[in-house]
Amino acid sequence: MTDHTVCTIEELPEGARKIVAVDGIEIGVFNCGGELLAIEDRCSHDDGPLAEGELDESTCTVECPRHGSLFDLRSGRPKTLPAFAPVETFPVRAEDGQIKLEVD
Amino acid sequence: MNAPDTATLDPKQAEREAIKDINQDYKTKFGFNDPETGYVYKAPKGLSRQLVEDISEYKDEPQWMREFRLKALEHFLARPVPQWGANLNQIDFDDIHYFVRASERAEQSWDDVPEDIKNTFDKLGIPEAERDFLAGVGAQYESEVVYHQVRKDLEEQGVQFVDMDTGLREHEDIVREHFASLIPANDNMLAALNSAVWSGGSFVYVPPGVKVEMPLQAYFRINTENMGQFERTLIIADEGSDVHYIEGCTAPVYSTDSLHSAVVELIARPGARIRYTTVQNWSQNVYNLVTKRARAEADATVEWVDCNLGSKITMKYPSIYLMGERAHGEILSIAFAGAGQHQDAGGKIIHAAPKTTSSIFSKSISKDGGRATYRGLLEVAKGASEARSKVVCDALLLDPESRSDTYPTIRIDENDANVGHEASVSKIGEEQLFYLQTHGLDEEEASKMIVNGFIEPVVKELPMEYAVELNRLIELQMEGSIG
Repeated sequence: MTDHTVCTIEELPEGARKIVAVDGIEIGVFNCGGELLAIEDRCSHDDGPLAEGELDESTCTVECPRHGSLFDLRSGRPKTLPAFAPVETFPVRAEDGQIKLEVD
Repeated sequence: MNAPDTATLDPKQAEREAIKDINQDYKTKFGFNDPETGYVYKAPKGLSRQLVEDISEYKDEPQWMREFRLKALEHFLARPVPQWGANLNQIDFDDIHYFVRASERAEQSWDDVPEDIKNTFDKLGIPEAERDFLAGVGAQYESEVVYHQVRKDLEEQGVQFVDMDTGLREHEDIVREHFASLIPANDNMLAALNSAVWSGGSFVYVPPGVKVEMPLQAYFRINTENMGQFERTLIIADEGSDVHYIEGCTAPVYSTDSLHSAVVELIARPGARIRYTTVQNWSQNVYNLVTKRARAEADATVEWVDCNLGSKITMKYPSIYLMGERAHGEILSIAFAGAGQHQDAGGKIIHAAPKTTSSIFSKSISKDGGRATYRGLLEVAKGASEARSKVVCDALLLDPESRSDTYPTIRIDENDANVGHEASVSKIGEEQLFYLQTHGLDEEEASKMIVNGFIEPVVKELPMEYAVELNRLIELQMEGSIG
């Protein structure tokens, strides 16, 4: 497990996101109402980008911008079709003023 | 070997005569239109944020549905017209009435339905069919359902069969949980449009263990010129239940185009069975662009029986997601493309769980320069071990001017999947015709017999009344087809 610094806490206020590349994997890091969550930036339906979709802070879900599948940021599971397979999620935390992402 | 010439007229002339009669028949039987004098509301042509808000306001909807509609409108406006299938570039989305209310409410007695509308459904034989062999009927005229009734014994068993607007009012929690869970607003351009302006359609809920022995039927009728009909249907069959839903549709013959764009979502809970049958017979000035998707949970079965005879262009690929172990999906598709028609149809089945089984049978017939396209997907996803599937698509071309295309996609991510695929394209053969003619049939009867034999495997899956109707419609389309 390796820690990667995403940005400072101030750079990711509530409702914001950062998309970072770690070891060749694109990952979306979200601040959902104060909760930090990280999800693979890939829709399992057609492998298109996911993390730039609309964030719903009331449910901590992101909507795939290509075909509308809604993904749970906590579990990586799609809540609506056409995607049905989960995508990867990653542990993320705030530490010493920085946001740290753990990737295997 | 040449078939003997049995026609006394010049064959081309005979064909033109016969085709003229087909249109005559559609016009008298289905293609008439009613006056609009009693209409409650007819929105001016065109689509706007204001119109979407008005529809929601008019229906007195909860705030979440209004927001859903408005977001869907943004998705629609942001999406280009798809270029991968049939040609949709001629649709003028500004030249459509998106919402037309012909009566005040969905009545439970035909006597309360406005007279012109009741007469229309009488001519179409709906009340008669309801008396004879249906468990419930919903009749949609323009944007809204004008009549809805379900048999008392089913109601007592908890079966809900209401129009979608009533479903939202009376079962908001269920609707909110499942609405757009299979087909999100941004799934595709036409689903986005439907999500923005949807009106009417059916809401069906069948409680656990309840078997609805007779079919439920919905009938969709467009009357106005340049009309857009956007019904929305959600069917939930709870554990171990069983339901058969049938839809039919017709419209008047106009020289300008109308648009029908429905969204249909089916949820079959563990052990449940849903069969959804469509006999699509829109007039040839209707674009029919429909998104249909089903989810089958463990041991559940979903069957789409999809017959496309009418419309100018149809694009429709009913799909089934087999999400639970041993779920089963079947798609039976018939497409008949005559002059000026493009039937771009097919089906999709996605195996997402172990031991799931499926089949797709598609039969298409093209004549008089018509074009039939089969477009299908069979996917066995990772984790769907021991999946079994069979895909068969056959096309029959009745003349050299007609066209048939097949676009089958098969994706398999499991090593032990058992998947078969067969495809055939055949021309109606002179030898077959000659053989039948030597047994006393004339050329037209012989070709009808060949076509009937070709589609028989699908037709035999229909309830008897619909099989008869489908055969009759196909015979009508076939008349005079051999020059």
